[in-house]
Amino acid sequence: MRIEKRQVKDRPLTVIVEYPEWNSSVERLIDKISKADLTFTGKADDRTVSIGISDIYYIENVERKIFLYTDKEVFRYDRSMTDIESVVSGTELVRISRTCIMNTAHLKEIRQIRNSHLEAVMDNEEKLIVSRKYLPDIKRIFKGENV
Amino acid sequence: MKKILRDTCILAALMILCVFLISIIWSGLTSEIMLVIKLFGLALILSSINFFIDEVSTLSILSSYIVKYFAVTAIVMLYGFIVGWFFTSNFWMAFIYVGVVAVLGYFLDSFKTKKDVEFINKKIESRKAAKGSV
Repeated sequence: MRIEKRQVKDRPLTVIVEYPEWNSSVERLIDKISKADLTFTGKADDRTVSIGISDIYYIENVERKIFLYTDKEVFRYDRSMTDIESVVSGTELVRISRTCIMNTAHLKEIRQIRNSHLEAVMDNEEKLIVSRKYLPDIKRIFKGENV
Repeated sequence: MKKILRDTCILAALMILCVFLISIIWSGLTSEIMLVIKLFGLALILSSINFFIDEVSTLSILSSYIVKYFAVTAIVMLYGFIVGWFFTSNFWMAFIYVGVVAVLGYFLDSFKTKKDVEFINKKIESRKAAKGSV
């Protein structure tokens, strides 16, 4: 596969995929590229904001309400964790506990803290509890396998 | 090596299943076959309990093994009394059977968790290094 990159000013980010024939590899590649551009519509106060998947640090279910956390802001999101999980499958987002989905792109470190609890430290220094049950799923993301 | 071990376990399970199916057809439900069926029933209950504890709790490895140890021992004892494995004189044996499995499971789990954490952190480090070199 040949990769060409070029800067074209004043135009949106464009990816052109040229293929000799359509096959599962091309399909997977296109699916991956499409998912990199996923956006979520979150609400904060009275405003509605479109949040790119790469800006999301983690998604949390707090008393059956879903919240999207970016570096510094929190947004309300009106869908269930199961819906989100199916949308983000194949991306860098992965479930880390019953109530939390984390973006591994912003993961700085995983620590084993007191009593062997697991803690994910994000690159904005926020800490999340990781359930051991989901550790293999995180590992799969870093192995380059889709969960 | 890992693949060979996994394939060996799958093949062994299939062989055991075939042998037992043929034995059931050939000689009916003998006491040995009933024992395997009872063990299968117990394994199903224990796996469900294990899944439930992992799903609802965010306990540490040690705490979750302690909780599981008592929950599993209670179930093994109850099941043992129902199917006639245990009597009032030997019910304490459940503590030993479950204890041995729990200790082995705890050490294996701790080791695997440590290895997984190391692997992930190493990958994060190499990702950082790759980003830095771009």
